[in-house]
Parts: sequence; C-alpha cells; structure tokens
Amino acid sequence: MTRRKLALAAAAFVIAGAAAVLALGTSPGRAKSNAAFKVAWIYVGPHNDGGWSQAHDEGRQYVQKMLGSKVQTTYKENIAVGAQLQQTVASLVSQGYKMIFGTSYGFFDKALAAKYPNVLFEQATGTDVAKNLAEYFGRAEDTVFLSGMAAGAAAKCNTIGYVVAYPIPEVIRHANAFALGAQVMHPGVKVRLVWTNSWFDPAKEKKAAQSLVAAGACVLGQNVDSPATGQYAESQHIPWVGYDSDASKFAPKSWLTASVYNWGLYYLRRVKAAMNGTWKPGFYYGTINDGFTKLAPYGPGVSAKAKAAIAKKEKQLENGSWYEFQGPLYDQSGKLRVKKGVRMQVLKGGTNSLYGMNWLVKGVIGSPKG
Amino acid sequence: MRVTVERRLRQPRWLAVAVPAGSLVFAFGVAAIVLVATGHDPVSSYRQLFDAAFVSTGSLDQTLIAATPLAFTGLAAAAAFRMRIFNIGAEGQLYMGAITGAAAGLYLGGRGGPSAFVIAAMVVAGCAGGAAWASISGVFRAFFGTSEILTSLMLNYVAGYVLTYLIFQSESYWRQTKGFNATVFPTGKPLPSSAVWPGLTVHAQGGIVLPLGAGLAVLAAVVLWALYRRTRFGFEVQVLGDSAGAARYAGVRTRRKILAVMAISGAIAGLGGVSQDGDFRHALDGDPNGLQKQAYGYSGIVVAALGRYNPFAVVLIAFLIGGLDNAGNTLQGADFPSGLVGVIQGIILFSALGGELLVRHRVRVVRRASAVAAAPPAAAPEASP
Repeated sequence: MTRRKLALAAAAFVIAGAAAVLALGTSPGRAKSNAAFKVAWIYVGPHNDGGWSQAHDEGRQYVQKMLGSKVQTTYKENIAVGAQLQQTVASLVSQGYKMIFGTSYGFFDKALAAKYPNVLFEQATGTDVAKNLAEYFGRAEDTVFLSGMAAGAAAKCNTIGYVVAYPIPEVIRHANAFALGAQVMHPGVKVRLVWTNSWFDPAKEKKAAQSLVAAGACVLGQNVDSPATGQYAESQHIPWVGYDSDASKFAPKSWLTASVYNWGLYYLRRVKAAMNGTWKPGFYYGTINDGFTKLAPYGPGVSAKAKAAIAKKEKQLENGSWYEFQGPLYDQSGKLRVKKGVRMQVLKGGTNSLYGMNWLVKGVIGSPKG
Repeated sequence: MRVTVERRLRQPRWLAVAVPAGSLVFAFGVAAIVLVATGHDPVSSYRQLFDAAFVSTGSLDQTLIAATPLAFTGLAAAAAFRMRIFNIGAEGQLYMGAITGAAAGLYLGGRGGPSAFVIAAMVVAGCAGGAAWASISGVFRAFFGTSEILTSLMLNYVAGYVLTYLIFQSESYWRQTKGFNATVFPTGKPLPSSAVWPGLTVHAQGGIVLPLGAGLAVLAAVVLWALYRRTRFGFEVQVLGDSAGAARYAGVRTRRKILAVMAISGAIAGLGGVSQDGDFRHALDGDPNGLQKQAYGYSGIVVAALGRYNPFAVVLIAFLIGGLDNAGNTLQGADFPSGLVGVIQGIILFSALGGELLVRHRVRVVRRASAVAAAPPAAAPEASP
C-alpha cells in the first residue's frame, strides 16, 4: 500500500517539477510571421536516407528556395503508419500547417482527409482521391528499365541480384522493368529477387545483398530506400544500380546509375496552386518528358556502347515509339500475359495494369508473393 | 579513496519521491548540455515537449493513443516479472491478440451480432490469443526448464512473420481483397462498424477521446493488484518470486504457477493487441512499418521497471511515457532531427531507470584513512587515486 502511494507521489512530484522547470523559461514567442504558408512533408525513413526520402526532401528544399519567406516548410521523419502517423498529422495541423505531403503509401486515406477538411493532403504512390486529397507518382518504370539496361550490359555472369521491399504492384513493376531492361542488353540474363518487407532497413538490405551474391549474382540492383546494397557491392567489387537518389558517393567504383526522381517541380507547382487558391485534387503520373524522372549520372563501369544503347532507348521512350510494358509479355511460367501490341495502362486493366501488376516477367527468379 | 555501492538496510520514504525527481532533474540537465551543444534552446525545447505531451489542444487525446498500448504491455511485463518470470514476449503476444481479436471482430461483426457482444467476444479472443502464445514459453519453462527469456523473445519474431504473412503474403481472412485499392498495397480487412470500439469523448482541450482500451487497461491494473495482493494465488506467486526453494518446500505448485503467470501476462498483452484493432486501427495491421515498428512490447518492459511492477504505477508511467512519445513526434522537424529527440527520450528513461538503483542502494565514498582504520592494512589494496 505505502509503496503504491509513494510511487504515485513520486510521479506527481516529477510532473510538478517538470512544470516548474518549464514555467521558469520565458515564453518562446512565435518567430515566423503568420503570412508564411506552412507546408509539411512526412517521410517513412530518415530525411537523409540516401534514397527515397532524401529525394523528397530535396524537393522540399527546392520549394523553400524558390518561394523563400512566402512559405515555411518542415518535415517529420521515420514515421510509422498508425498511431504515430495520427499524432504527427494532428500536431502539424494544430501548428497551422495547411498542406501536408505524405510520401509513403498508407499515410493518408479518405477518412483522415475528411477529419481535417481545411488541410490539403497529397500522397505519393496511392490511389485515394478526395476533395482535399490528391495522389502523385510517376513513370519510374521507364527509367528503371533504362537502369536495368546498364545492369545487363555490366553483367559478366548470368544472374543479376535485385533487392526488393514489399511484394506489391509498385515494386513488382519496377522489378519487371529492370529485368526487361537487363534482357535487352544481355539476352537470357536472370534477375533474382530477395524481399526485405521494409522500405528502409539497411541491415536487412545488406543481408539480402549478401545472399544474392552468394546465389551467384555478379551485379546488384535495388528497389529499397537505403544505399546498403551499394556499400556491400563496393566491398565485393561488383557493379550496382541504385534507386531514387544519386547515391554514387556511397559506392563510387561500383556505381552504374539509378532511376531518380525530381519531386521538386511537382511540389513547387502544387504549393503555388494551394497558395493562390487554384489547387484541385487529382492523380498525377509524371514522365521523363515532364522532368519527373531521369537517369542519374553514370559511374565508371558503364561502357560507351551501353551508354549509346540507353540513350537511343530513352529517345524512343520520350517520343513514344518504345514502351517496355508493351506486349508480347510473358510471365515466369512462360504464359503470354499481354498480347502483342497491347500497352499496359496505369490504372485500367486489373492485374495487367501498372497499379495492379501481381506477376513477374519471364527471367525473374523469385515469388511475386514475397 | 574507494566508491562502494551497498544495499540499504532501510529505505526511507522520502527517497521514493526524491530519487525519481532527482533523476529527472539530472536528465534535463544532461539533455540541456546536448541541446545547447547542437544549437537549440533547452528551455523552449522542454516547454514544447511538455506542451505537446499534455497541454496544447488535442495533445492529451494523442498522448492517450500512445499510452494505451504501453499500459497493456507494461502490465503484462509487471505481472510476470514479479514472479521473476521474465516474459520478454509481450511484443509477439500483442500481435497474436491482434490477430485472434480481429478474427472475432470480422467474423461476428460480419454476421450482424450486437456491438456489445461482438466487442466482448473480441476481448475474450484477444486475451486467449495472447495467453496461448505466451503459454508456449510457459510450458517449456514449466516442464523442461527452458529459459522463457529466450523462447518468448524468439516467438516475437515468429509472430511478426505470421502477421506479415497474413496481410502481405497470402490472401488470408484478415486481408482486404475487394476493390482496386486492395491491389495497390495490401491492408487488413476493415472491421465492421459493430466491431469498432467506442470511445468516451470529454469536451476539453478540443475533444479528448478516452479509448475503451484505456479503460480496460485501468481495469486490468485493478484486477492484477487485487489478484496479487488479496488472493492466496497472489501470495504464493510472491513467495515463489522471492524464493523458489522456500515456496516449493511450503508446497506451492510451481509448475501451475509458472503456467498461470505466463498465461495472465500473455492475456494482458493480447488485450493490448485487440485494443489496437478495435480502438485505433479498425483492421488488422500487418504492415512491418506499422504495428511492428512501434515495438510496444519492448517499451512495456521499461514501463514496468519504472513502475516498480506496481500495476497502478505502471498505468501512470505508461501515460507519462506516452506523452513523451507523442511529444517527440511534435518536436522533431527540419530544425530538430528525430535522432536528437531519441537522444533526449533516451537520457530521460536511462536516468529514471538508473536512479532506481539509489532507492535500494546507497553509494558510499570510503576515504582511505577511514578504510585503514576500519580494516587491517593488509586487507586494503593499493588503489590508484
């Protein structure tokens, strides 16, 4: 009994003490003027992860630089879906943030948007659109295809390893595009997958890379957020294709290239629209032509021949005379999935759409179920 | 001169108050050095921390969301640790409770049962799921003497993989399979409205919702306290915890007690899992970046230790740590890295736990002269100053 009372008293004392400490301080007056439009970004990993979240944060900094004192931006990093996300959104709204970009799937849905009708939400990689909720992403598969060509050209053996996050259509279509690109330069090459079931987990990613090399891979690629795969590739002196950001500094010798995003152009356009009242919800799917996605600068391991072949395909992608997801496309078992001449759509077509793809193309080793 | 740590013969009452308070002041002092070194104003940072946890609009609402699961996992750890059964598996038991509880909610709610019945069934199923998972470690400990620390810890990973499997790698009963969204990213099937737990809204601070789970956690604390303080079972468990040999000699059935304590601990953790379904997520969350990244089960061990295994203190500590957690999300941003938030939270928890040593022990600085006087010179080693 007494111990309980004492514990309670102790806790009460602690609270009182904390309150006293805080009361002693001077009020930290709001430094920024109310005129600045407040925009926040929420990241699934660290803002400097060397990949996905970093690419978004470069977009945020671009917005801040272009609009200067007219906007006030911030970010929240390492946010998990669920309670933590709810808390983060609630605190941003109460601090007066009027526009929030969520850069991972599952962050926002219609229910959350309805809870804060005066805040504009934008989510990357999703499909939920509501009065104050927009979705955005883009054709990274085109540039992932081109980066796959670089991997195929550099492969001296018959297996390329690809470290992948979740067994979902987004990752599956990137793995497929990567494999199709590799096969252009290196007919018959196999792309072997290892799933990490996480967007950002350097330790797991390194282990996946190790197991791929142990299984005979002589080139590595990835669709995860950290450069851990590249660091392992560097230590093994084998070429590496990154994803999301230019991560050449993590593996200067192994670096080939990567499909990278330029989120800043979209962010600037949307923030400006929100500020002058012309913002509308929608589903944006950026392209190479928009400047939304491109290839990062090449590393030392890309041959002149490969560069020329990639440049040629890039031209064809830009003018529409080539598309990697145009039939005939066969799945792992050799079954014809997309008929000759048919082009896959983004949302329409069920499992034969970019957002619904749940099967792997011929030449990929691994299960599309993880 | 030597520094010795020795057990206190008596524990003065004031210490139980002074030590936590002193630890906190110490922690804020150390953290202030870190803050100043990284170019932040400590006073305004602390003020923001406190505001975001307990004062500003909606803060208590969010703090309760963070605190509720910690109260369950804290109680789960406290229930077992009292008997010196080290159940490290609240994490996995919470997942299992979430799985079985969601199954009950989806099945019974889908058949249109009355809400009170569905929710009661979810509670029972969640407790049963957690208890069953914990009992695996319990059986191995009771009958084969296998360390429950290792088995319960490893079963956490198994439970995590089961959770991932149910949502990501199979089209299980728990997974949403209808609609286009279901193909974009796998999610749990939403619970029918009769399986969503009600909350009591308090009209203060812009609306505070007291989740049903928070009420159940307090109820669990009361039951646990009564069980350990007011029943023969509880007495026997205490004796077993203090001296297993003496208890056996007195005829306490050790195996049964181990099984029962593990099951109780697991049931409370499982209740925390089903509260995640019913109160907050309204579906089974199988995302490794969701429920699994929160690590409620492991945090619960810290909560239990800080609460000195006292059920009521555990609930209170869960509330405070929930506040700290919640405030961390508010504090971090472009000018305040999340790593720094973690450092400050770590310093506070570490100091609070470290201070506990001083409640039961005292540190004595023994001067060489007095040491010489107290003991013959041969016994005093030449210590470097």
